[in-house]
Amino acid sequence: MNTLKSVGHATQRIDAVKRVTGTATYTGDVHLPGMLYARVLRSPHPHARIRRIDTSKASALAGVKAIITSENCRVIWSTGDSKNKRYLFNNPVRFAGDAVAAIAATDRHIAEEAMRLIDVDYEVLPFVLDPEEALAPGAVEIQPGGNLSPNSRNERQPDIYRRGNVDALRTADRVFEDRYTSVHLNNAQLEPRVSVAHWEGPKLTVYASTQGISNCRTDIARDLQLKPENVRVICQFMGGGFGNKNQCHDFDLMAAVLAKNSGAPVKLEFTRKEDFVAVHGRWPTKQYYKVGVNRDGTLAAIQLRGYCGMGPYRKGAGGIAGTELYQCPNVETMVHPVYTNMAVSANYRGPAYPQGVFGIESLMDHIANELKIDPLEFRLKNLTRKYRDAIPYTSNGLVDCIRRGAEAIDWKKRWHSAGAGAGPLKRGVGLAMGCFSSSLGRSSAVIDLDSRGRYTLHVGVTDCGTGAKTTMAMIAAEELGVPLNQIEVVWGDTDHCPYSVGESGSRTTNYTGWAVIQAAQDLKRQVAEKGAPKGSDILTASASPEPAIKDATRYSFAAHFVEVEVDIETGRVGVLKYVAAHDSGRIINPLTATSQVKGGATMGIGMALHEELLYDRKSGLPLNAGYYGARVMTHRDAPEIDVIFVETEDAYGPFGAKTIGEPPIIPSVAAIANAIFNATGRRIKDLPITRDKILGALA
Amino acid sequence: MTAVSKISRRDFVETTAAGAGLVVATAAPIAAAEAPTAPRSNIHLTVNGVEHHTEVEDRWTLAELLRDHLSLTGTKIGCDRGECGACTVLLDGKPVYSCSYLAVWADGHAIQTVEGLAQKDRLHPLQEAFIEHDGPQCGFCTAGQLMSARALLYRNPHPTADEVRAALSGNICRCSNYNRYVEAVLAAAGRKA
Repeated sequence: MNTLKSVGHATQRIDAVKRVTGTATYTGDVHLPGMLYARVLRSPHPHARIRRIDTSKASALAGVKAIITSENCRVIWSTGDSKNKRYLFNNPVRFAGDAVAAIAATDRHIAEEAMRLIDVDYEVLPFVLDPEEALAPGAVEIQPGGNLSPNSRNERQPDIYRRGNVDALRTADRVFEDRYTSVHLNNAQLEPRVSVAHWEGPKLTVYASTQGISNCRTDIARDLQLKPENVRVICQFMGGGFGNKNQCHDFDLMAAVLAKNSGAPVKLEFTRKEDFVAVHGRWPTKQYYKVGVNRDGTLAAIQLRGYCGMGPYRKGAGGIAGTELYQCPNVETMVHPVYTNMAVSANYRGPAYPQGVFGIESLMDHIANELKIDPLEFRLKNLTRKYRDAIPYTSNGLVDCIRRGAEAIDWKKRWHSAGAGAGPLKRGVGLAMGCFSSSLGRSSAVIDLDSRGRYTLHVGVTDCGTGAKTTMAMIAAEELGVPLNQIEVVWGDTDHCPYSVGESGSRTTNYTGWAVIQAAQDLKRQVAEKGAPKGSDILTASASPEPAIKDATRYSFAAHFVEVEVDIETGRVGVLKYVAAHDSGRIINPLTATSQVKGGATMGIGMALHEELLYDRKSGLPLNAGYYGARVMTHRDAPEIDVIFVETEDAYGPFGAKTIGEPPIIPSVAAIANAIFNATGRRIKDLPITRDKILGALA
Repeated sequence: MTAVSKISRRDFVETTAAGAGLVVATAAPIAAAEAPTAPRSNIHLTVNGVEHHTEVEDRWTLAELLRDHLSLTGTKIGCDRGECGACTVLLDGKPVYSCSYLAVWADGHAIQTVEGLAQKDRLHPLQEAFIEHDGPQCGFCTAGQLMSARALLYRNPHPTADEVRAALSGNICRCSNYNRYVEAVLAAAGRKA
């Protein structure tokens, strides 16, 4: 039973009224007197050297105030590429959409007109889109040193993980070999890219749309060679990011340079098409597996050779995750991050997992089917009990997620041999597991108490939709032992908030949550020592803890179950029932956490069935940038998602919380794929599982 | 062809502020002084019950007029090409994508935006239900979802879940909180009965 007063109770967002009345100020709503509008001109070629840029006609247009290009702006965007020097404007340009120039003018229509007046002379170069082709001898070199991007140790080698010896494949009872692929798709958050930059003497203020104001400030200061205290980053409301607004972005820097050069505040806006092609999306993968199985159905060895198309810059880590879901003594994964001339790839919710789990969970489902074992039993036999069979988890509710999810979907009754059922509407069920690191680390919080008993909590969150402002207030209320409405939260402004880790990697509740608890404890101690503040006195408590885990590792877990109906005449897949069971430790706010799970699972369905940024192989150009072309999920597509929380005890988290934001998209792609297999008896190994692929497999 | 600008920026601000009977927070600029080439027209429209006589550039969209020149930034632009629905407003009670509707076309019409839903300090039942059911996650699509739902309830006060999904199908929520939005609209409709 929940004996806590705030934590664990479904709580409306503290900023909800602003969100429904149109009074929440998002970055694009910021308007400064005398503000200019800026636009970015982009390369129409996937790979080209710029011989000459002529901006004279554009500069002469009335209303144009500043133009920057690779010729007059040499700012390095350091978080745009961890391995090479990536400038704001690069020459050569390396993908269709690489920035060539940015223009600030007195209104956005003039900036757009000026774009058309810039004359660029390109020497078009050969290009490559596919990561394996990019590694072939004689392939065009996209970055100096070759197309295999350095691994995490900065060697020109793939990232390799080894445990035991995969020679065990030779002696395994059966060996399964298969290839799975996933594609580039966009985060497609609703709020387009926008940044407003404003200088007052040496001080730069950037109204950013960022998942982390502190990191954004550090990045801007480094790249523009400013003192961090001379950079202020403000983000009061944030319209989603799902991993593509983690650090400072090139447009924040461009806006700052344009504002400096023109002497006026600048608002730089991206169009939706630019958002799709010029920021980043999920990295596409090719995954080659070999899995050895023993006679008793346990796993003998897993070998993965994989390729990730990173685009031409190394903005994201890359990686193919998911093999750690299984207990297996002999594992080898060898993943190649590769430069290509496609759109840049980097973080998108659950970064390396949804595509990797699609591969490994499809293959495990296939193996269970071949061995004539219920896929649920196969997983219970082989799932992870210790991380990599060696390090204990601080808590692990995966088995309970499977049991409770199976019960909710009535697995025993609904699972049948693959492809059974008469058609033309064939039903089938599928399941898949997921996990995500639930790490701990440094973050900060400050709490003030005044003589009227008002608590003001300062946290550097922006709340990208997760409900972080509310969660932090609930944690403070709980620890202070006061009602939620006595807590005021100050957020989203580096001049008024301490360091916060940033809303990425599902870290805010755990990292900043601990900081809030410790600041509250410090405040209570101060009140006990000095008494409550009087008159105009204010008591201030702060904390910057850096908690660590000893001899164990922390993960969140999930199991998703889905029943689909496949129309074998049209290839249409309908989701009839969806159950998402999650072990995220104690749930701080069941209202917002449930929304996170519903949303993440639904996004995964879109990734499974429709979404892809298509490229023309002949021209190297993206074909379907935009919501309509990408076929993101809509009201019509979205099924009801039933959410189950398995609240394991995990003393390492604030009030026992683990992570929730990233995990829900992780199992859903594979769960859909496995349900389609159960319904049709056909295994589609290449995402997305579009109607044509289903009809092709059935033909 | 080119309409001659007869209203200065100050006139424009005073007209809208006086007409609105409220303080216009940040009067957005009309950057016409240095670029006098764009054709302009005088229009007359009602926004949230307030009359506006104003001069607009013919190329401005309704979303642009509302956001940049009437300081009604509750209406969001997600795609600016009629795909996402974040910019949905009501034109004579019917939903339109204001990013794909020119400001001059609104001449003589009544516009309702998210700012016009609440009456004084009283939230509209849809707004209350959106809060209770946690409709907005990031909140960027919310104004559009609300306005499509408002239009639905005008013509169908007691919709089924499928009717809600159909009416809101032009409003993308990338946080994908679709279940919540449908629940909220149904709850608000029940409350109205």
